[in-house]
Amino acid sequence: MVHQPIIIAEDVHKWYGKFHVLQGVSLTINAGEVVVIMGPSGSGKSTFIRTFNALEDYQQGRIVIDGIQLSDDLRNIDAIRQEVGMVFQQFNLFPHLTVLQNITLAPIWVRKWGKGQAQDTALQLLERVGILEQAHKFPGQLSGGQQQRVAIARALAMQPKIMLFDEPTSALDPEMVREVLDVMRSLATSGMTMVVVTHEVGFAREVADRIVLMDAGMLVEQATPTEFFHNPQEERTRRFLAQIL
Amino acid sequence: MKQSIWRNQRFWRFFGQALVVVLILAGLAFLGSNLDRNLRQLGIRLGFDFLRSQAGFSIGDTPIPYQSSDSYAWALLVGLVNSLRVIGLGIGLATLVGVSVGIARLSDNWLLRQLALFYVETLRNTPLLLQLFFWYFAVFFRFPPVETPLRWLALTVSKGGLQLGELRVSSEFTALLLGLSFYTAAFIAEVVRGGIQSVPQGQWEAARSLGLKPGQTLRLVVLPQALRTIVPPLGNQYLNLAKNSSLAIAVGYPDLYAVSSTTFNQTGRAVEVMILISLTYLSLSLLISLLINLYNRSVQLVER
Amino acid sequence: MNSWLRKNLFNTWYNTLLTLVCLLGIYQIVTGVGNWLLTQARWDVVATNLNLLLVGRYPASQIWRLWLVGAIGVLLVGVSLVRPRLQPALKARLTPLLLGLWPLSLVLCFWLIAGGAGLLPVGTNLWGGLLLTLLVAFVSTVLAFPLSVVLAVGRQSTLPLVRWFCTGYIELIRGLPLIGILFMAQVMLPLVLPAEWRLDRLLRAIAGLVLFNAAYLAENVRGGLQAVPRGQTEAAKALGLNTPLILVLIVLPQAIRTVIPAIVGQFISLFKDTSLLSLFALLELTGIARSVLAQPQFLGRYAEVYLFVGLLYWIFCYTLARVSQRWEKPVASRL
Repeated sequence: MVHQPIIIAEDVHKWYGKFHVLQGVSLTINAGEVVVIMGPSGSGKSTFIRTFNALEDYQQGRIVIDGIQLSDDLRNIDAIRQEVGMVFQQFNLFPHLTVLQNITLAPIWVRKWGKGQAQDTALQLLERVGILEQAHKFPGQLSGGQQQRVAIARALAMQPKIMLFDEPTSALDPEMVREVLDVMRSLATSGMTMVVVTHEVGFAREVADRIVLMDAGMLVEQATPTEFFHNPQEERTRRFLAQIL
Repeated sequence: MKQSIWRNQRFWRFFGQALVVVLILAGLAFLGSNLDRNLRQLGIRLGFDFLRSQAGFSIGDTPIPYQSSDSYAWALLVGLVNSLRVIGLGIGLATLVGVSVGIARLSDNWLLRQLALFYVETLRNTPLLLQLFFWYFAVFFRFPPVETPLRWLALTVSKGGLQLGELRVSSEFTALLLGLSFYTAAFIAEVVRGGIQSVPQGQWEAARSLGLKPGQTLRLVVLPQALRTIVPPLGNQYLNLAKNSSLAIAVGYPDLYAVSSTTFNQTGRAVEVMILISLTYLSLSLLISLLINLYNRSVQLVER
Repeated sequence: MNSWLRKNLFNTWYNTLLTLVCLLGIYQIVTGVGNWLLTQARWDVVATNLNLLLVGRYPASQIWRLWLVGAIGVLLVGVSLVRPRLQPALKARLTPLLLGLWPLSLVLCFWLIAGGAGLLPVGTNLWGGLLLTLLVAFVSTVLAFPLSVVLAVGRQSTLPLVRWFCTGYIELIRGLPLIGILFMAQVMLPLVLPAEWRLDRLLRAIAGLVLFNAAYLAENVRGGLQAVPRGQTEAAKALGLNTPLILVLIVLPQAIRTVIPAIVGQFISLFKDTSLLSLFALLELTGIARSVLAQPQFLGRYAEVYLFVGLLYWIFCYTLARVSQRWEKPVASRL
């Protein structure tokens, strides 16, 4: 595999008022890699990945996404957001639009596609995530698992180079977690660069190329799944694993 | 990479504000210059010394002594006192009636519920002004003339007003007070009803299973909790009452607005009168809001 | 039947007493009022002045135009209310049609009422009574709405100056009585505008109502804006949409839907508030009622006229309130 860094975060610091939420986090992610970030709640892992598409800003350090520097420059932010897709814990589908309209909205208005092209892509994606028949329903009529799959399709419609997942299954009933993880698994197999914040250990073990542990705003350890789960180097990693396994 | 200024987020923040400020200032300058030009054409100079000149008009209700030879400032003060009289009593009466009707809306007596509903739906869906006209012209005008009043126990009733022993109130005052209070009470009733209904059913069940009777449950368990939901919109209704009191002019009661209006008619001092009215009503609104907020804080639940 | 009576009216001793007292009171009042209504009240004042009360001095020969406007209004509103319950295919075809029809019929109705270009022109000084009330309420709401959206969005703005200005305006207007604002509009507008712009009393009154209404509507819209979950803006941002697009495509459609009952409530208030125009010598429903009462042959008929006019107001407000309640339900369940 050729190592082609697509996300470079160097010594990133962020403060919420006095609270030092990110304390010098550095991480490099290569194209096609699947990185899973784990950690106790409040460790800053969600905040960290949200800096990648400028949903959160940062005060110190450097972040470069696909060669574009993340700064105050609006043009850069816009360009980055088109290349980075995000899936949220609360799905955040647009309730006043149908499933199909949810997916075609951004391609039409941001990438300026024609309606026909956008709809074709949308229908293909719906088929890929397994819910083609729900195309004309409203989000409120779908189950949680179905909604999250629509959310994934919506993000994929922009043909991003990177997909961010912020605890995608935490708000789902247990029986629906599997269907979403299956979609994410197939996405990983297809070669998408994915950064996933999750508590799903099984998924991490099977799909991740690398697992990162964050705690109290710091990056504690990163290793391959085998190394991470069977031979953790840091004390904090061992403590964390004891709590979740 | 050169950063284009048009794409910088911080630039747009600054520029956006600057643009708005420029627009607002330009607007105000436009209005101000017109005002200046028009006032000069009318020969009016802005200033508040006209308040010292003689008012020259009489006032019907004078809770503090007043003659037409007194100053405009004094006349306005009389107006203010009149406003405060009707607002204070109005809030009291409206609360009394409103809370009763609100509770009646939830009574287990069907007839009482329907009567309360009728009261609320009738008064809420007709304009207050119309109700005031009705009270004054269709009710108080039918009272016997001053020379031949109606006597009932210690109460003397005539077109001139009501008299109970030493206490005398004009028809205008009474019509305004009753119209204003009953109208506002209809809205207060709905606020109270909503508040009581917002208390979870489980509270009623727990109280009843402890053996409390409905009246006790209401008084000791439900109403104290309902107050949390009730107080803010209740305060809003009080504010409405205070503002609606300005309709006094429709029934000839000399409140602050009515006196200000007469002052304007006599002096042509639009800007000054407008400033006085605004400052006074805003202060009044602020005062009521403050008191309500203080009370609101005291009824909040103590939580972890 | 007996058991219902027992449970609802006579279940306890005090309820029984209450019921009897109420029944007695109702009997007294109903017979007294009924007696007056049927024997002593002289309703010719209403019958003779019916046209005046309903449409002011609108020429009698042209009233058919007003009926047409009413029919168009009822039709449009009816179809719009029914739309959410239709089949998707029919709804998809109907929606763009409706979107175009609304502004078109607005223009059409205005032409029908005002005349000109083929129809006999009817000057604004002839519009009065219920017609004027409806027109003023409608125009004021339509004009106030965009202003209120601007104020509501401005009040949430991250730019401090914009936020202060909008908040200041809203709080200032909401602290003042409507009569005060109408007074200022009548008296101040001629002073702060160039003398060549001569605004007649009706326009000044409408301006006052618009400024007043916008502040209250802005609070309703703000509530709606706050009800849109933050995640919606985040998801839209993550997809690359810029701020204006997010506002128009995602936030406002959701905010306004939540807020429609409050907006209808505000319209009902405004409808009642138009009565204040009578204090400024304008002849909407209340104003024209007072001028009818000033006619020498109908002196003293206060009760009859005010009751009739009150009934008209009541019918409108009550119906609007019920319709709004009904409409709230299907929309809420879909969202």
